[in-house]
Amino acid sequence: MAITRVAPGIVRVERQPLTFSQRLYIPQILAGMMVTLGHLLKNLVNMKRMLIISYPEVKRVYSERFRGRHILTSREDGTTRCVACFMCSTACPAECITIEAGEDERTREKFPVRYDIDLLRCIFCGYCVDACPEDAIYMTRDYEMAIDTRARAVVGLRDLVVPPNFPVDPMGYRPYYGKIQKSGTAGGTGVGQPLRQAPFDDDTAPNPELYRGGNA
Amino acid sequence: MSTLTRYSAIPYTGPAPTNRAPYVPKNAEPANARGEAIATTLGNAAMTQERGQDMPTFLVERARIADVLRNLAENPDLAFILPLDCFGTDYPDREERFDVVYQLYSLKNNERIRLKVRVGENDTVPTSTGVFKSFDWFEREVFDMFGVRFEGHPNMRRILCHEAFQGHALRKDYDPAQRWILTEQNVARIIPKIDPRFATEDTDFERVTLNLGPSHPATHGTLRIVVTLDGEKIIGADAEIGYLHRCFEKMSETHTYQQVIPYTDRLNYCSAIINNVGYALAVEKLLGIEAPARAQQVRLMLSEFWRIADHIVCISANLVDIGALTNYWYLMQPREEIIGLTEACSGARLLPSYVRVGGLAVDVPSNFLEQAQRLVDMLPRYIDDVEKLIWKNRIFRERVQGVAVISKEDAINFGFTGPCLRACGVPYDVRKASPYIGYETYDWDVPIAEGGDTYARFLVRFEEMRQSLRILQQAIDRGLPAGPVIVDNPYVALPPKSKVYNEMESLIYHFKLIMHGIQPPVGETYFQVEGGNGELGFYVVSDGTKNPYRVRVRPPCFPLFEAFGQMITGQTIPDAIGALGSLNIIAGELDH
Repeated sequence: MAITRVAPGIVRVERQPLTFSQRLYIPQILAGMMVTLGHLLKNLVNMKRMLIISYPEVKRVYSERFRGRHILTSREDGTTRCVACFMCSTACPAECITIEAGEDERTREKFPVRYDIDLLRCIFCGYCVDACPEDAIYMTRDYEMAIDTRARAVVGLRDLVVPPNFPVDPMGYRPYYGKIQKSGTAGGTGVGQPLRQAPFDDDTAPNPELYRGGNA
Repeated sequence: MSTLTRYSAIPYTGPAPTNRAPYVPKNAEPANARGEAIATTLGNAAMTQERGQDMPTFLVERARIADVLRNLAENPDLAFILPLDCFGTDYPDREERFDVVYQLYSLKNNERIRLKVRVGENDTVPTSTGVFKSFDWFEREVFDMFGVRFEGHPNMRRILCHEAFQGHALRKDYDPAQRWILTEQNVARIIPKIDPRFATEDTDFERVTLNLGPSHPATHGTLRIVVTLDGEKIIGADAEIGYLHRCFEKMSETHTYQQVIPYTDRLNYCSAIINNVGYALAVEKLLGIEAPARAQQVRLMLSEFWRIADHIVCISANLVDIGALTNYWYLMQPREEIIGLTEACSGARLLPSYVRVGGLAVDVPSNFLEQAQRLVDMLPRYIDDVEKLIWKNRIFRERVQGVAVISKEDAINFGFTGPCLRACGVPYDVRKASPYIGYETYDWDVPIAEGGDTYARFLVRFEEMRQSLRILQQAIDRGLPAGPVIVDNPYVALPPKSKVYNEMESLIYHFKLIMHGIQPPVGETYFQVEGGNGELGFYVVSDGTKNPYRVRVRPPCFPLFEAFGQMITGQTIPDAIGALGSLNIIAGELDH
């Protein structure tokens, strides 16, 4: 493309008329075909580098921040970490989270008796993860959520809660908090509960030193 | 220093969110002075200046608004010839409850002006379609959303809502959850007006009325164009929109400032990051804060990447329309890489919701700059290859040259912005005219082209991708500034999780911010960014509570599509399809 400067900071892209040789129909068609043919040959010779993912045999690997289906994490004793504080449902822009709270008679701690996420309403923005003060809701890298009825799109505690030692591998968007100093029963975990522990080691968070600028 | 001690600014000593003084923008005083100068130049008694705004603002007598607009446009010293926006606002407690707000831009002086007209429920406003053709659709939208009638408007009917809709959705007393069902018998039949140039022509062909869309592969979105054909020639065209109307503006009023961000993703879904940035900057302007330098540069880099992606979608889809399918498959690869980079930053591919008011959601991955460099090295090859395939191609040239021409004067009068305006030879780019997030510090050029046809729009877009790459290369060379990516202000940004888990004070701020939201001071503001296809503006009104009182988005597609009917009259259907692709109409933004 021919470019002329018309003023400081402004360039004009010139309209160039086609020359006689460019107006010849057949040679130019062949020249264009050569570009496509070159790619075809390159792909035939080197099929492994072809830019195609044969889903579902090959699946794309997403980053550790991928915002897929949610999970609710558990404490070491197997109870869910969620304390039914309604922060996630308040922060949710799509209003897809429904919570009903109950109270543990022994520890006087709140816990969810019902925790439903309507995956058809959910827009996977990650605001619930940002809002959770209890490290309870994470998102996974699971993006295959095909369902056959609308009712099945509503997932409850039974589908969401994962056991305490849930592997790190399928985890997606979750709070990155670097090396935190665990002290006492911080953050309102409740009396008599074991100390907070993330289901994975803190150091394995994607960029522990980089969260919000890291240690400058 | 550990992460914990770094953010030990608690207790926070800045201003509390409530009971603050009303919002006074930084540039209020120069705007007031300039407003006085404009009033003196114009000498029109119908205007009174409203002070303390971010641009010269006038309250205009209702009956004389069209005259004032005409004076502003025709005065050679002022030359407010580019109509940007016209929208309503509802203040039900006031006697004259509606504001109709007009915003104009002067290409000559690089300045903006805002005019307000107060309208009661039973009053009418004289139409300004005679001055600016652009305001035809904008006034219809005000009528649709607020029920304000415009006297003398040629086609006063609903535009975004359907025919069976009752009431006016953006009035404050309208229930956001109210729905109306449209049945088939309520659908109005559209018969396009035949252009006077062809009305008297006597031909042997029968005239046919044909629907293109709303679900048609060539419209790339749910648009509907009704055309009357004389043989193969289009002799009348009418566009119908609103099939993707999702009440963005009404929903913004029922959500907190931070919650609106995922909604803005869905405006122009081909360059969602730019919408995020525009909205966040508007709210930040209202709050009087500025995001940290690191966040600003990431915003800029991702905006430029997504501008390239937006142009890639436009160019490749447009080439499919005119029969060059190869380029589409080929160009999708670099776009996929850009999406991949965004996914690595934000966790979502197309609708990232990555920007927050005050900064970014999380920091970029540690290899962000290397990845960006890889992309910047890779992209020119794709652009060059596609150029090789089409530039000297006689079929392509003959399909696009001289097709769907719009003159410079018409383009300005219709309120064109972005690549489509620059293809008419007007070098207006928001990034140069009123730089934001540091665009002024980069060395780059605004590309223009002559002709205003489909070919010129191709030329501009190709060059713009190269200019974006120039900006990106400079940004990578500078490196990202160190520091946090979100402001350290617990009334705006959530405290870091490490503190929320461990400190009572931070936990309280966390709860307060989620429950009560950001509460900007009372006031209004407008902020514009350069979107993928033109000036994208957000007008935000705050009443001091957690929800915005009014959010208005200025969609760049809206005036582009408005002119489309005129552009294709006299052309053939295949040319019209090619022209539609070159305008880059994104239905999500068009219908907000």
